[in-house]
Amino acid sequence: MNDQTILLVEDSPDDVDLTMRALEKNNISNRIVVCPDGAVALAYLHERSKDGTHYVNPLPQVVLLDLKLPKVDGLEVLKTVRAHQRTTLLPVVVLTSSKEEKDMVESYSLGANSYVRKPVSFEEFLEAVRQLGLYWLLLNQSPPPTDND
Amino acid sequence: MVTKRPRLSATDRHASEKPVTAPGHARAAGPPKPLAHVYVDIFKNNPMPMWIFDLETLRILAVNEAAVVHYGYSEAEFLAMTIKDIRAAEDAANLERFLATQRPALKKAGIWKHRKRDGSFIDVEIVSHELVWAGRKARLVSSNDITERLQAEARILEINANLETLVRERTQQLESVNQELEAFSYSVSHDLRAPLRVIDGFSQALVEDYAKLLEGNGSKYLARIRATTQRMGLLIDDLLTLARISRRNVKRVPVDMSALAAEVVKELREKDPERHVEVRIQPGLKADADRGLVKIALDNLIGNAWKFTSKTAGARIEVGGEHRDGTQVFHVQDNGAGFEMQYANKLFGAFQRLHAESDFTGTGIGLATVQRIVSLHQGRVWAEGEAGRGATFSFTLEQGETDE
Repeated sequence: MNDQTILLVEDSPDDVDLTMRALEKNNISNRIVVCPDGAVALAYLHERSKDGTHYVNPLPQVVLLDLKLPKVDGLEVLKTVRAHQRTTLLPVVVLTSSKEEKDMVESYSLGANSYVRKPVSFEEFLEAVRQLGLYWLLLNQSPPPTDND
Repeated sequence: MVTKRPRLSATDRHASEKPVTAPGHARAAGPPKPLAHVYVDIFKNNPMPMWIFDLETLRILAVNEAAVVHYGYSEAEFLAMTIKDIRAAEDAANLERFLATQRPALKKAGIWKHRKRDGSFIDVEIVSHELVWAGRKARLVSSNDITERLQAEARILEINANLETLVRERTQQLESVNQELEAFSYSVSHDLRAPLRVIDGFSQALVEDYAKLLEGNGSKYLARIRATTQRMGLLIDDLLTLARISRRNVKRVPVDMSALAAEVVKELREKDPERHVEVRIQPGLKADADRGLVKIALDNLIGNAWKFTSKTAGARIEVGGEHRDGTQVFHVQDNGAGFEMQYANKLFGAFQRLHAESDFTGTGIGLATVQRIVSLHQGRVWAEGEAGRGATFSFTLEQGETDE
């Protein structure tokens, strides 16, 4: 599709493999960066070079964010991402097992762009990933960068 | 006014039998009159303990029989005491302050502690009135022993306090159980589904990538693993719905039940377009209920009717209602597989199923959910059916006149 990065914040190696497989099956060949917890994800997004002049990593096209994460959980990641000038407009898709209303409401109020519940069936998951890829990597126009990346 | 009552003559005679013993009484009251004896009797024979004390010296000038009986002092002992002597030492200052400050003629003197002859203390409510006794300014005192009443009140207060503590404790327990339940549901929602996804995902990967290596029934077994995984996923979702309903507050609004039923049927038709089911919904069905909850109930009831008519030629579902004994009753009726009435009481238990999974799929949680929703509305749900001929589920969403 393009050379933009997808940031996958997911602690379960099984889920990481299955998500990668689903992306692959849908011919989504973007670079996938996997962060196994919220702290690593925030570091990836906000880490600056030693001289402080620029960010170490390019902004991803979209973040696929699990909610239940070690150290810093998904909702906190979302809160920090929105509070930070660099990532305030970054598209974040919450991708989780939970269909708790509470999680949904909180995710949206913290500024999630989308909330997708991972289905049990892999076929349904494939379809969900296909649509996500189509929408966020092709259809959606990303917001302009909010700083000199 | 009293003097005009004819019955006084009888009392008069009675009074004359009991001579007045109060010293100086004759001087105070002037020449003895029959009526005066009556009044003295009213004092002497009064069922309430009474005495008269000198406002200056506080000495007790006269005492009645009830006081002697109740307090245990003889009349002579009473007459040798001041009103300070029947009180606890620590009350002396209070008493003086009290006597010094308040002087209306009729006085509710409040509650005091008095000492009986045996040394025990009683709580008494005192009322008094000024009078002149043997030429002295005095007060007539009536004492009402309220010791038992106060003890009873104290017991009630104590019981109430205990009850409040108990209620607080129970509420806390309930809250903590609710929190645990919430945490549990949350955990179920997150953690129990995740492994299912992995089982299904990798089973599918095996089918896709290694189909050639799977001999004999290999692919079939994998298909069965996946089917069971799906079923477990459904079970978890249904259990979560059931748990979520239990912790929800009912918000009653006017609900167009006919429209809601039509919505449910529309969704079923969209999901199952190849099914041909004749559905009749009585127009104008209304309820005052929690719309979200009632939607879930109708999802289950109409969904069941839809499912259990899947093997019926000329499948038919009817949604209707009627007023019965002042209560609106709703029905969902079908001509499907039905059930044997002897199992009717098992229908509403969680995980209870009356049909084999191979005949009709399901988790056995749907009707338990319906029952929970109906109970939350103080209503009732019941079922009538016949194997092979269909079932009728009826429910109310309010407390009926005959319900307790």
